[in-house]
Amino acid sequence: MSAVQEALPAVRGSRDATVRRFALTDAIFHAVTRAAAILVLVLLGGVAISLFAGSWQALSTFGFSFVTSESWNPVTEKFGALAPIYGTIITSAIAILIAVPLGIGIAIFLTELCPRPLRRPIGMAVELLAGIPSIIYGIWGLFVLAPFLQTTVQPFIISVFHGIPGLNSLFAGPPYGIGLLTSAMILAIMVLPFITSITKDVFDTVPPVLKESAYGIGCTTWEVTRRVVIPYTRIGIMGGVMLGLGRALGETMAVTFVIGNAHRISTSLFAPATTISATIANEFTEAVGDLYTSSLVALGLILFVITFLILAIARYMLMRIDARTGA
Amino acid sequence: MSQMLSPDMTIAGEAAAKAKIEVKNLNFYYGQSKALKDITLSLPERSVTAFIGPSGCGKSTLLRVFNRIYELYPKQTAEGQVLLDGQNVLDRSQDLNLLRTKIGMVFQKPTPFPMSIYENIAFGVRLYEKISKAEMDGRVEQALKRAALWTEVKDKLNASGLSLSGGQQQRLCIARTVAVKPEVILLDEPASALDPLSTAKIEELIDELQADYTIVIVTHNMQQAARVSKQTAFMYLGELVEFDRTEKIFTSPREKRTQDYITGRFG
Repeated sequence: MSAVQEALPAVRGSRDATVRRFALTDAIFHAVTRAAAILVLVLLGGVAISLFAGSWQALSTFGFSFVTSESWNPVTEKFGALAPIYGTIITSAIAILIAVPLGIGIAIFLTELCPRPLRRPIGMAVELLAGIPSIIYGIWGLFVLAPFLQTTVQPFIISVFHGIPGLNSLFAGPPYGIGLLTSAMILAIMVLPFITSITKDVFDTVPPVLKESAYGIGCTTWEVTRRVVIPYTRIGIMGGVMLGLGRALGETMAVTFVIGNAHRISTSLFAPATTISATIANEFTEAVGDLYTSSLVALGLILFVITFLILAIARYMLMRIDARTGA
Repeated sequence: MSQMLSPDMTIAGEAAAKAKIEVKNLNFYYGQSKALKDITLSLPERSVTAFIGPSGCGKSTLLRVFNRIYELYPKQTAEGQVLLDGQNVLDRSQDLNLLRTKIGMVFQKPTPFPMSIYENIAFGVRLYEKISKAEMDGRVEQALKRAALWTEVKDKLNASGLSLSGGQQQRLCIARTVAVKPEVILLDEPASALDPLSTAKIEELIDELQADYTIVIVTHNMQQAARVSKQTAFMYLGELVEFDRTEKIFTSPREKRTQDYITGRFG
């Protein structure tokens, strides 16, 4: 008894020291992780500020006409961003139009219909598509897909729609191979894995019992998917689509290869065009003069704002589905 | 018909009631493990049968065999016979969607579909019947009245099914099940997630529905089984231990295991 009582103060003393030491390491750990998190915000803010500063000259020279003018003339130093903005939005929109039904189809097949042994291999193959470097998509697009489209698909479509008002200007010749539609197709392949894997993940959040009750009143797999699974996961699918869209908007290398790099707005989807990122990649090395460089930075700022908004919307939508499944 | 059954599982004095579902030598497997062991029993038409027993005894599994909902999952297999009006539903040629319109199911948790209250009910009806808007309105109203939900929702039929309270959602699920005019209704612990008031409403509903439907209810709540059912099956570790009139099971069970369970000695 007395031995224990004598030992107690000593134990207390060493315990206090340990507690102090723990408190110190905890505080350091806290500070280090917080610094890492703050660094991200600093970087994001830094990028935004430097883009804004770099584009100031162009924006103050051209004012609002920078985004409404189509002319892009390095010789006379008249720069307008409308053509690249148009190209960026149209290629991305068509890419999404192609990739969304495909991606949802793959996700439905993988979650509802696919025999179990095939699920992982097919799912992994789709995700590996995301791992292919974009330069390879570019080379493939330029040397394989574009010539193929030029010699077979485009002449066929042009001849089919020839003389149909509206469609004949949308698919007007000559068939270059490269152009808006080819870029959109490459982009569609590139964003497909994102849309597929997110759609697959949100499909997996549907409670089995909800699907059981739909099957329980005699629904077929199609009816369960169409009326229960997709409505239930609508917001999550939209989030996946937005993420894919964000990626399509910013994709540079592959698009630069196959877009044709022409600063004009044409109604034909077969016509060469340009996108914001393709313009920057192509012209930065040859940009002489401050106004030219500043205009390219301003293009970057516009892309930054567009993708930032799209990704913010995507995150918000995915957050909403997380909140619902958590509840 | 009841002469065909093994005598120990036929209820004395109930021989006259026509059997709606007859289960014969049913075995069920989750992969390798056997979850139901040689189950044989006969459920009389237009009455409520309760399955009781401790967790994992196989009562829900047995229910899930009746409409073959277990087939959504791989590695779950059933052997033996389940006769619905004399027709074996486990037969490979049985059309699953058709079977499930005849045998409706309500689950432990309310599962309203992500659509309006009206659509929750019309959806299932529309799958198999082409009827006019006016007829559909009538069907929806009738189903909601059946489920004692009409007065509460008649002014907000276009609101989302998810906006209702838990008890209302569960009654909506029952209305949805009733609307497709099944012959059998399977209830898998339908009140376990509900408060006592909602539970009382569901039980009243079950009592009314048995005039037209053959009802099977799985429940953990023995008072509930005693209140709503006409006959009770006690299951334990995948076996059907005892099947008899409910009052017999709860007052003078034949088996000691049944006695132990209902008096709360285990389970």
